[in-house]
Amino acid sequence: MNQPTTAAWLNKVPEVTLAFWVIKIMSTTVGETFADFLAVDAGLGQGATSIGMALLLAAALFGQLRTRAYTPWIYWLSVVLVSIVGTQITDLLTDVLGVSLYLSTTVFAVLLAINFAVWYAQERNLSIQQIVTPRRELFYWTTVLCTFALGTAAGDLATEALGLGFTLGVFVFAGLIAATAIAWKLGGNAVLCFWIVYILTRPFGASLGDLLTQAKTYGGLGMGATWTSTLFLSVILILVAAAQLSSNSQKSIAQ
Amino acid sequence: MSRLDSLVRKTAIACAIALIGLATACSKSTDAPPATSSSQVGASQSSVSKLGDLSEFQVIAQDVAGLVNQGDLALAKLRIKDLELAWDSAEAGLKPRAAADWHVLDDAIDQSLSALRAGSPQPANCKAAMDALLKTFNRLQGKA
Repeated sequence: MNQPTTAAWLNKVPEVTLAFWVIKIMSTTVGETFADFLAVDAGLGQGATSIGMALLLAAALFGQLRTRAYTPWIYWLSVVLVSIVGTQITDLLTDVLGVSLYLSTTVFAVLLAINFAVWYAQERNLSIQQIVTPRRELFYWTTVLCTFALGTAAGDLATEALGLGFTLGVFVFAGLIAATAIAWKLGGNAVLCFWIVYILTRPFGASLGDLLTQAKTYGGLGMGATWTSTLFLSVILILVAAAQLSSNSQKSIAQ
Repeated sequence: MSRLDSLVRKTAIACAIALIGLATACSKSTDAPPATSSSQVGASQSSVSKLGDLSEFQVIAQDVAGLVNQGDLALAKLRIKDLELAWDSAEAGLKPRAAADWHVLDDAIDQSLSALRAGSPQPANCKAAMDALLKTFNRLQGKA
């Protein structure tokens, strides 16, 4: 509390805790199901849904960039919307423009690398804890968008090229996440490990969602999209509400 | 502050665990018959494709084609929504089995959807699209 941070611009991102990862993984599934629901069930079509989501994302990011300190509900709303838009960018490239998944996976990986390079060149660090300037925050969200697009493309590539289904996918991606976590415990670079896990949680969340939603004929648990989304959304709301409450109480103590 | 904090946090985690536990319990009770070998069971039948049993989708497509042949494009447009929903929700289950075949069928379904959903749908276009779709089903099932 008594650290001399600039009063005008406080840290804008949450601490990386278990709750952080749970919300991150579940928001991926909820975002995708919700976008699917709008496009197919509600019959809005892919085009209208994409435009609507992009506008919502712009509004949420505008709110996120304008707040003075980390505000859980705005932050997580932005993550959910980035997740949806990142997925839609990949889908648009693959389905409408016919770009091969090998190419889009490579391009997103390169874009991510360039973003990191520029971020490092400008800031001399890639801190994920000290997002305390507008420029750093822009780098942060650009990175998040790239990781979602890359995670989607790489996950789809694993399905298309390797025939990796969701049942095996859950174990493969969980294993890769665990390996990264061990590497971090053994002294691996924290920022690098964070972003690797951030990418991997995209296909992991998608596989987990599929495992719950898909019919038993396909090896899923047959809970259906509605129940799975309701369950995940409830967990997200509880965890975000808890974060919001504790951040409010900290604020009132600090004042 | 810290006491309220930890109380909120503990409550949240307890709720989350309860929800996940509930979901696991629910899904276990209905998950009793292991359905892992369903694709092998069907493999002996001649009408099974690399994607597995497609009859669920084929039946709807035949319905739609029947309506198109009767000239009822409005009802056909309504019915093909069922195909879109069923096909879309099964994507994660079907695609990994044979991605190339999945795309062939997905394209054929897309063609039919856009023919029936055109501003003023043309009977000839709809019929051609539905014929092509039914042929695709037959081809994937090794029947044509």
